[in-house]
Amino acid sequence: MKAPLLTQPLPRADTAKVIDLDIRGQICPSCLLLTLRTVNQNCAALRKGECEVRVLTDDRQATGTIPEAVAKMGYRAEVVNTPGGYRIRIFHP
Amino acid sequence: MTWDMTGPWLTIVLASLSAGLTAGFVMHRSDFCVTAMFRDLFLFRDAYLLRMLVLLVVVSMLLFELARWSGRLTPYPFPLLGPPSAASMVGGFLFGIGMVLAGGCVVGTLYKLGAGSVASGVAFLGMLAGSALYAEFHPVWSDFAKAAQIEARAITLPQWLGLPPSALILPAAALGAVLLLRWYRAGALTRISHAAGHLPPWQAALILAGVGLFSYLLVGMPLGITTSYAKLGATIETWLWPEHVAGLAYFSSQPLHYTPPLADRPIQGGPGPGLDAIAAIQYPLIVGILLGACVSAVRVGEFRVRFGTPPRQLASALIGGILLGLSARMVPGCNIWHLWGGIPILALQSLLFVLGLVPGTWLGSRLLVRFVIR
Repeated sequence: MKAPLLTQPLPRADTAKVIDLDIRGQICPSCLLLTLRTVNQNCAALRKGECEVRVLTDDRQATGTIPEAVAKMGYRAEVVNTPGGYRIRIFHP
Repeated sequence: MTWDMTGPWLTIVLASLSAGLTAGFVMHRSDFCVTAMFRDLFLFRDAYLLRMLVLLVVVSMLLFELARWSGRLTPYPFPLLGPPSAASMVGGFLFGIGMVLAGGCVVGTLYKLGAGSVASGVAFLGMLAGSALYAEFHPVWSDFAKAAQIEARAITLPQWLGLPPSALILPAAALGAVLLLRWYRAGALTRISHAAGHLPPWQAALILAGVGLFSYLLVGMPLGITTSYAKLGATIETWLWPEHVAGLAYFSSQPLHYTPPLADRPIQGGPGPGLDAIAAIQYPLIVGILLGACVSAVRVGEFRVRFGTPPRQLASALIGGILLGLSARMVPGCNIWHLWGGIPILALQSLLFVLGLVPGTWLGSRLLVRFVIR
């Protein structure tokens, strides 16, 4: 199943603090593990909309597993394909 | 022995190369990682990819059975499978640990390397070293494997029980089909992916089952590559210590001796340096997987030499690679060989390998979370 790729840059929430995670070049499954760990560590702020997590990865599989995993936890994820890798923005809707 | 590029050799080289190119391309597009299939079950309670393995095995069972009924699946069972020994289970256990630490199995490492992963390159070098290292204690291990043999004559479960292959394979495939139908109805066989040019893993599983049949029909066996890792390791070692390599019994063994499907005379090969049947079958497969994955990555603009791997992970990839190389010789055979080839014909060695692989993957996952990714 395919989902349309976003081509426009993601809108930046001005008030929210951004936590950046660069996981490029790491072995699997660093991407999902480190993302879930960061989301869990910041769950209170994420739920209040005070922060969001932005992941930069070259792991193709993570573009499917991260949105699904964080959706189960009540968050949303948006994926953008950029020349430097996939950018995944995780926030509370 | 030289390759006379008429007759079976040309067929084997071209068939293996095209099988490799297809497999490499498809595996990269769908991220068909066999390590993740088992590992993610333990780490994330996620069985999505494991369902794809069930699909691949069930379809392969049916394809192999159809081909066998039509008399085209020769030799049956395929060469290089040995009688069952507990040694395969021990090897499978170490293989499970190794593939998690390396971040991919033997074939998974190749498609990731083809897309530019430096960590996979390190794991690949580890595998060459591990495969060559096995030759140092092959006589001891070989004695253990014989002592731990469970049954001397049977290669497959149906042979052991004195049943025709279909009597067990068809019920097993039917059971798998029931499971797949339930997952399909629950929507558990698809997942949204945002990767460019993504190929859904269920489609990859069907294509790879077809590639396995293609290889069996033309080469005489399904996909397997690890003996040639020992061969490549031995070739490199020969440049450094030629006399030492010449003195190792393992490198002069010729475990492969069979008549390919389209040939009129037998060919043979082994793990020692030199261009024999093993080289003709497996080297093109390796080159094909690397190239296929590379072409796939270039076409979606994702080929990048990926530096920036943390040193701890590089060390893990190296140790995992050495373990993979070693254990693939101890089994003998890798997960692709046993899961995609041996399990569909219910080979006893493959069943024992899986019994070891599952707990090994669990332990590898624990080690990975505890020591490597932090």
